[in-house]
Amino acid sequence: MAILEIENLSKNYGSTQALKGLSLTVEAGSVYGLLGPNGSGKTTTLGIALGVLQPSGGTARWFGGQISSASKRRVGALLETPNFFPYLSARQNLQIAADVKGADPVTITEALEITGLAARQHDAFRGYSLGMKQRLALASTLLGRPEVLVLDEPTNGLDPQGIAEVRSLVLRLAAEGKTIILASHLLDEIEKVCTHVAVLQRGELRAAGPVSDILAVADRIVLRLAPNAAPAALLEALGGFSWVTDVRPEPAGGVSAVLGPGRQPAELNQALFLQGLVLNSLEVRHRSLETQFLELTK
Amino acid sequence: MLVRAELRKLLPYRTVWIVLVLFAGLLAFFVSVGGNVTINGQTVGNSLYAFPGLWTKLTYVASYFHLLLGILLIILITDEFQFRTFRQQLIDGLSPAGLIQGKLIVSGLLTLFGMLVLLLVGLYFGLTHTTDSSTSATEGLFDALLRYGVQALGYLSLAALFGFLIRKSGPAILLFLLYSWVIEPLLRLPIADHIDRYFPTKVFSSLTPNPTQAILETMTGPTSALSATQAVPLTLAYAALFWLLSYLLLRHRDL
Repeated sequence: MAILEIENLSKNYGSTQALKGLSLTVEAGSVYGLLGPNGSGKTTTLGIALGVLQPSGGTARWFGGQISSASKRRVGALLETPNFFPYLSARQNLQIAADVKGADPVTITEALEITGLAARQHDAFRGYSLGMKQRLALASTLLGRPEVLVLDEPTNGLDPQGIAEVRSLVLRLAAEGKTIILASHLLDEIEKVCTHVAVLQRGELRAAGPVSDILAVADRIVLRLAPNAAPAALLEALGGFSWVTDVRPEPAGGVSAVLGPGRQPAELNQALFLQGLVLNSLEVRHRSLETQFLELTK
Repeated sequence: MLVRAELRKLLPYRTVWIVLVLFAGLLAFFVSVGGNVTINGQTVGNSLYAFPGLWTKLTYVASYFHLLLGILLIILITDEFQFRTFRQQLIDGLSPAGLIQGKLIVSGLLTLFGMLVLLLVGLYFGLTHTTDSSTSATEGLFDALLRYGVQALGYLSLAALFGFLIRKSGPAILLFLLYSWVIEPLLRLPIADHIDRYFPTKVFSSLTPNPTQAILETMTGPTSALSATQAVPLTLAYAALFWLLSYLLLRHRDL
């Protein structure tokens, strides 16, 4: 079942086009990452989906229907910044949120404990550190135990320990069967917790699908022949193998290529040797996630 | 549920209590010094506090203090834009209409508070200064309280509209005061009396006419202002219109 269906969504701020015909579908039970640099349209997408921004075109549907008070109560969401009354305590703020959501007051204590705020629950929100404010925003999303969580940059302002805690919390909630939509500009965060990812760039969808497909790390093999051999022969030989792709010249007469799934560098070495080509060097160059991401958002 | 959520925001907020105490204190203070005013060598004294005339005088004086309640409502509305709590409540399940209803409830609570203060101040000064026991303290009371309450709802709806329109407390308060004191009177200047009496704050002020109107009219001729009975439905219509405009603003803008 589709939890959230976004179709052909666009949004203009004056003459700036923040979203250009974005479409994506979030299936139940997935941890769906929205990945993109700052200003790529992640928050705008979520803002429209959550009903606080008016789209210039397109639709967002929750649970197969229009957004409504009933659909909103099945979703716990943190958008951009923690939004609370500064003069109220954490508990008082959560009481208001629970009233608005129609959530069971028991879940207030539960949420404060899960996010580690129980000891400071009676302190005014204005005295909280950035990390504690972020935790309170997370606590608010848990009120009423919603089946879907929308988290926009949830680790913003947290220290490394806090980041690790939020990640394990997300994984734990996902294991309970909740659907989680997570926006982040941190590749590492998406890779560690998400099952699916959509990559956004300047308001457009660059790629979408299971994380293992989109952020697959394909290593390149860099080859160099003996100095007296003709470099063209190597290019020609590589072109003849169907399981070798993306052949590119490298500096200093080398050539790089990507091997098909399941192929080992030793197989390539042997195949070249059988054609009378003797390598002077063979190097496996690991490709980082960052390189992959930068390539997707080029 | 909405009432409870609004009370949870109001009751612990110090600003609310400061403004409410200021409202009650200033009104009581003005009424108490009123008796010491000397006209033609005689202190006004107890005649000011005699029922039933007291209620008319009191509502007229109290009508100036609506601005204080209006400022408080603007603060409460613009706070929610500043804290982005309107946005969060929309995310958490309220509709724009729900957000408006919440503030409509607050305007109702502020009106009830104003009426209560008016009642207590009137009864206190009336009963402690009265020498004539032939007139009842409640004569004219319900009419005065009702007109005062309707007037408060009118001013508060206008204040709310400025709050929702401008979203920032300083400029919204400034424009609310400027509108009531300067802009609307200026707009009314070139307009014929039989039309200008339908302007919002003019209609609101018709609900609590100047108690010395009768004396003034002997000098300036009859006033063209609406009678209080005519002004009640018009004020309520204006209040409905202003709340509707606030709703449309909230509905069609990004939060």
